[in-house]
Amino acid sequence: MSMRLPPVIMDNGTGYTKLGFAGNNNPSFVFPTVIATRDSSGTGVSGGSVTAKSSGSLASKRGIEDLDFFIGNEALSNSKTYGLHYPIRHGQIDNWDQMERFWEQSIFKYLRCEPEDHYFLLTEPPLNAPENREQTAEIMFESFNIQGLYIAVQAVLALAASWSSNKATDFVLTGTVVDSGDGVTHVIPVAEGYVIGSSIKHIPIAGRDITYFVQQLLRDRNETSIPPEDSLKVAEKIKELYSYVCPDIVNEFKRYDQEGDKYFKKFQGIHSVTGQPYEVDVGFERFLGPEIFFNPEIASSDFLTPLPEVVDNVIQSCPIDTRRGLYKNIVLSGGSTMFKDFGKRLQRDIKRTVDGRIKKSEELSGGLIKSTPIDVNVISHKKQRYAVWYGGSLIANMGEFYSYCHSKAEYEECGPSICRHNRVFGSMNG
Amino acid sequence: MILLDYHNAVIEETLRQPIIGLEPIALDSKIVDFDGVSYRISTTPQTKSVITFSLLMQCFKELVQLGAKEMLQKEYGSYYQTQIEQGYDFSLQFDLQKLPEDKEEREALVKKLSLIKRDLLAIPFEKAFEQQAEFEKEENKNPPIITTTPTTKSAELMQIHYRDLEAIYIQAQNDRVTVIFSTLFKEETDRIFGKVFLQEFVDARRRPALQNAPQVLYSTKEPPLEIRNLPELQKAEDREDLGYVTFVLFPRHFVKGEVRDKTISQIQLFRDYLHYHIKCSKAYMHSRMRARVQEFLKVLNRAKPDLPSVEKKTITGKTMMRGA
Repeated sequence: MSMRLPPVIMDNGTGYTKLGFAGNNNPSFVFPTVIATRDSSGTGVSGGSVTAKSSGSLASKRGIEDLDFFIGNEALSNSKTYGLHYPIRHGQIDNWDQMERFWEQSIFKYLRCEPEDHYFLLTEPPLNAPENREQTAEIMFESFNIQGLYIAVQAVLALAASWSSNKATDFVLTGTVVDSGDGVTHVIPVAEGYVIGSSIKHIPIAGRDITYFVQQLLRDRNETSIPPEDSLKVAEKIKELYSYVCPDIVNEFKRYDQEGDKYFKKFQGIHSVTGQPYEVDVGFERFLGPEIFFNPEIASSDFLTPLPEVVDNVIQSCPIDTRRGLYKNIVLSGGSTMFKDFGKRLQRDIKRTVDGRIKKSEELSGGLIKSTPIDVNVISHKKQRYAVWYGGSLIANMGEFYSYCHSKAEYEECGPSICRHNRVFGSMNG
Repeated sequence: MILLDYHNAVIEETLRQPIIGLEPIALDSKIVDFDGVSYRISTTPQTKSVITFSLLMQCFKELVQLGAKEMLQKEYGSYYQTQIEQGYDFSLQFDLQKLPEDKEEREALVKKLSLIKRDLLAIPFEKAFEQQAEFEKEENKNPPIITTTPTTKSAELMQIHYRDLEAIYIQAQNDRVTVIFSTLFKEETDRIFGKVFLQEFVDARRRPALQNAPQVLYSTKEPPLEIRNLPELQKAEDREDLGYVTFVLFPRHFVKGEVRDKTISQIQLFRDYLHYHIKCSKAYMHSRMRARVQEFLKVLNRAKPDLPSVEKKTITGKTMMRGA
């Protein structure tokens, strides 16, 4: 090629897949990671048994059934006649057959590129098994003949994405990533590009839980105007449009009581069946929704640790020489961190804990030890929603990217095991 | 999905909001298409309501000789820019305030833009079909005197080098249009898959239902007669990985109107179609292999070492029974 074509960035998440080309600010496509196939066997059956079950029919088929499938939104709209499958579970690829076909169509139908002409950047969750990485490399190099492959850890890309924030001063790969999507929230410490695996924590509170909570609040308040079949959708809309994080829940209640008209909002919806317009009052749920990150007891009874405390615990469990860097660079990623003032509140709460701890240790030493105060910085930026994809786009747009990639020639020389090693980290010999 | 779409979904998606919805948004995206075509859709930092659409294509120079500029000027009129964005082959500019009022017209515009690569590559095909029609007309006017050697008139061979080392050759003759693709298989497995695939094309035509399909010929290494005298191919003659696919289109395949448009759309995607299906077949093979491995693993898991059924006696002479 006379000119190098931009690398393809594919971020396949449990819920959504983000596709696009490097150098762009936004992914070209965002659609659910779902594939609709003809074989009726088992929606919701785990990968192994699906392949085993369908293997009989697989061998006997002679037609083009393997091409008869849809992905993404098209899959959802065809769910009546096709069986839906979710090839990724908990961030990891669960069914390789389906994933291979999912990629097939993502590349040829949506991105419309010849994989032989491009480099690819794929993402993986932290603690992904190296075997999975090898499988991915096998599919990418053997089936698609791609020119080169780089598999990046999502959290590291989220850190890279934060470089676009004006608050970020230097381009470091040390920091704590708070990644909150629809299903689960992760807190992942990264030091110099290495994920500190033993300290990762997961919180079972994320976007979907907020939606349920808002729905519950609306229901408790007896908002009768909401049609029952739309109630989840209304709750989601209210969450996305009006929610914010308040500095103090008691004061906020007081303010709402005193000058209600200033804070109460009206949500206008249209009944999905009858087409009738209706109105819903939006009140306390504006700040109570996101509040479940900070006071989980208001929504759930089995998980009670607030997010700032989890972040603090995570950093405290990391090696001591990395902690300052981790406090200094707390990066948000994912749609559920987009609430207004989310970063501010998180920063304040963590700062409070950290300062309290320092003060206490100074007191205990009897004033003999003076510690330098610890910087706590929560960085939020405009690209937060698709931070992982955006980070990938930034990295793949740099000149050095190609030297970090595993090229096809290397794959053919050494086999899939080359992907066990990440070349960003200096001199190790994979 | 058996056939690939003709239009570029990314372009459609990107332009939907600004052009159809008339909502000015800041844009700056680089998009690629098959065969190394790249687009850039951007707005200037000063104003979001003017969208620049630029395209870069390897064979654009060749297409210009065949009248690509005129086509663009005709199709896009005032959108066509004389000032070309640096690094690209041509630019179109859309001012959101000056777009047609009618929403359907704007939708048609977006659709047309998403098909722009197809339209550009269609130029040589259209031209060849015209030439063929002319030859035929001439022939009808003064029917040839029957001689022993059939007189075939052929127009100049058009060459479109749409990729490195790969090209489309189109030649119009008095009763047919010949389209030859040269295609390169980077990998040996692909070459074998491709061979099987193309052989299937040749064989499938024998079925009665497909008698009317265009004739397909396939050869590796040796270029077909029509293009054998090209100097660039003489150099490449020994290349193992180069294959040639020849389509012979008869006038019934390019009846003006829908049939012709469809033929053009499909034939120019042929290379990508072939490579897509090679990849799909590989994916299918892989899933077969995985299923087989799974079966074997099951067999292995079922296997247990035989228990030795030797009677064991303790020192006092009692018999030990195992497991019973």
